[in-house]
Amino acid sequence: MSEHGSMISIQHLSKCFGDNEVLKDVNIEVAKGEVVVVLGPSGSGKSTMLRCINLLEKPTGGHIFIEDKEITDPKTDVNKLREHVGMVFQQFNLFPQLTALKNVMLAQRKVLKRSKEEAERIARFELDRVGLGDRADYFPAQLSGGQQQRVAIARALAMEPHVMLFDEATSALDPELVRGVLDVMHSLAEEGMTMVVVTHEMQFAKDVADRVIFMEGGVVVEEGTPDEVFNHPKHERTKNFLGHIQ
Amino acid sequence: MAAYLKPVLKHGLVTALALSLVLTFISPLLAGAMSVDVTTAKSNETGTGSVLGGEPTRVTWEALVGDGEQVSAVRVELPEGSSITDDSSVKVTVLEGTTRLSPENTAVMNKGDASVDVSFAAPLQPGQRLRLEMYKVSLPNVNGEVTLSGTYTLANGQVLDLAPSPAIEVTHASTAEKISNWLGEQPAVQAWNSVTFLRLFFQPELIVSSIPIVAVGWLISLGLVLVGFPLAIPIGLIAAFMKIARARILHVLAAIYTGVVRGTPLFLQIYIAFFGLPLLGIDINQYVLAIIVLAVNSGAYLCEIFRAGIQSVPNGQFEAARSLGMTGPQTMFYVIIPQTIRRVIPTMTSEFILLYKDTSLLAAVGVMELMLYSRSIVSLTGNMTPYIVAACFYLIVTLPLIRVVGNLEKRLALADSGGSAPKKKGRKNRRGAFAQMREEIAVNTEQAAEELQEQVRIEAHVDDASGPLDMDEALDELQDGAAVDAQIADADERGAQR
Ligand SMILES: Nc1ncnc2c1ncn2[C@@H]1O[C@H](COP(=O)(O)OP(=O)(O)O)[C@@H](O)[C@H]1O
Ligand SMILES: [Mg+2]
Repeated sequence: MSEHGSMISIQHLSKCFGDNEVLKDVNIEVAKGEVVVVLGPSGSGKSTMLRCINLLEKPTGGHIFIEDKEITDPKTDVNKLREHVGMVFQQFNLFPQLTALKNVMLAQRKVLKRSKEEAERIARFELDRVGLGDRADYFPAQLSGGQQQRVAIARALAMEPHVMLFDEATSALDPELVRGVLDVMHSLAEEGMTMVVVTHEMQFAKDVADRVIFMEGGVVVEEGTPDEVFNHPKHERTKNFLGHIQ
Repeated sequence: MAAYLKPVLKHGLVTALALSLVLTFISPLLAGAMSVDVTTAKSNETGTGSVLGGEPTRVTWEALVGDGEQVSAVRVELPEGSSITDDSSVKVTVLEGTTRLSPENTAVMNKGDASVDVSFAAPLQPGQRLRLEMYKVSLPNVNGEVTLSGTYTLANGQVLDLAPSPAIEVTHASTAEKISNWLGEQPAVQAWNSVTFLRLFFQPELIVSSIPIVAVGWLISLGLVLVGFPLAIPIGLIAAFMKIARARILHVLAAIYTGVVRGTPLFLQIYIAFFGLPLLGIDINQYVLAIIVLAVNSGAYLCEIFRAGIQSVPNGQFEAARSLGMTGPQTMFYVIIPQTIRRVIPTMTSEFILLYKDTSLLAAVGVMELMLYSRSIVSLTGNMTPYIVAACFYLIVTLPLIRVVGNLEKRLALADSGGSAPKKKGRKNRRGAFAQMREEIAVNTEQAAEELQEQVRIEAHVDDASGPLDMDEALDELQDGAAVDAQIADADERGAQR
């Protein structure tokens, strides 16, 4: 689809929880270096779609390719796949028994088998990058929500992912703490990281997104550039959704 | 221990008495020489039939004058190690059949070699019986049988050896038993014991003398649980992993194990193990078997504790670890278990306390532990005091642990809301560091509470992702979600302006 090559290709993805069909024939392409923002009301399947990309949910139907490798193939090494797909959760999910530094080091040591020294060097670099170099020895409970989320981002980045997935990374934060996290995401985008971002931050979508996707009821209703979706929405439901915000 | 249990196990004293009685009847047949047919010592131990060595007692000695002999003097020697003091005294009785005679005599107690010399103005005649009661003399402080020896002098001046007396079973008196005997003589203790309730439940002498015995049982109980419980931990862990495993067969096996063990009384399990295995020809040392039964029983409870602990770790922790590429076992080992340990330690400690108390059930199958040791003294003395002592021995372990559980739970609650200080704070100025830590915790707790509230508020509006939605609900949601988005956008702008 893009000259830079495809990072994620989602084809006819469907997902059912029992009788509840949460995703219906979803098709999304994400090119390398692209920032895609996914909008949509609660329950529209955004999280489920994101979680299918690193197989935290098992798709019921369809195919997903990451860097042209089919991950929905049963032969795929799931753990190998996840090394290259970073994920940031709404609830941060830091490991509470470990300091910020150790949080960022753990998977480097156990998954990438990096030496202690290398893992620590990289961890300190990533913590600096998210502005928390001085909080390395704090435990998660001693950090504010915004700081915890930035540690979580550093933890994902330390694995040198090829793509980052953000699932409402700022929704659990106090309004005054949101800014810091968004700034980190913004600079990541500028550094050329491929990102799929589920968010309710419209300003962020307008500023950072290369493409905006609007989902509702488990289907992609509309997609286009921020200008197309925000200023000239084609679909009634998109207008409705955006209308309530603007 | 031996002081109480020997009589029970060997019936030593009874045997000695029986032997004396038999000798009483057959002695006339053996006559010809003066025969010593009775020697007994009065029990000098509270409540039991034992004769303690080294403690004052009353020794009774009887001899029958033989045919054709006329005895003018008798010398009775107490066994080596006995002692006669200034308090000691001797009473001389002479019997002819059942008639008591009062021949003129002099009786001398020799402190130096612990002997008694009795001489008669008119010699004793054949068939007459001489009885000496020696008050407040002490037999040697040994374990085993002692006999009295001595000589007698005939009217013609001939000195003959006395045949060895029947044996007296003496038990070694420990320091505790000596203290106990001393206590028994104190007026204050006697006053205390005159109150029935106090005597039956809190008898000072019995407290002192049962402590060393019950302590042995205590060590055994503690040993059983200190070996059994650590064995239960891996059993519980394996069962817990089986329970959360995806393989159905593992889950079923673990469920059967925990179901059966937790669904039946430990008492029954002990009975089946102790009486059932011998029927199968399996002969295991009873302490080893006791440890196995305790470990298998406790393992089932620990399994549930571990499983609950693992499942109390939020799902997000699994997802975060897996999304970083960690394998299942890595996630378990490095992320989930460390969080579980902190959470399960208080409940594990409670389980340890339960298991420790449950060792008492082993008394029912004769495993000598705390309960059985105390029960054996109770059945000898008919006094409840040893049970009170046993209770104290249970409590010296359980009470501190109960406190520990309480403290751990408090600290866990604090850690969940605050956490601990960063490591780099260093050692010096600890007070300052602690004060700061407390402040930080307070601040963080407040922050966490606020965040939680905010989160709940937003989630309630934005992320109420439950159930299939009908159109109306969907519309409502859409509006709510949008309203919150607007709020957030507002806040965003405010943030940007700053
Ligand atoms: N693990 C699950 N089991 C059952 N239903 C689920 C599960 N996860 C999500 N759902 C359902 O899927 C739908 C979409 O959820 P989600 O992807 O979280 O939406 P969004 O992130 O857009 O709010 C919701 O109706 C939700 O109830
Ligand atoms: Mg969601």
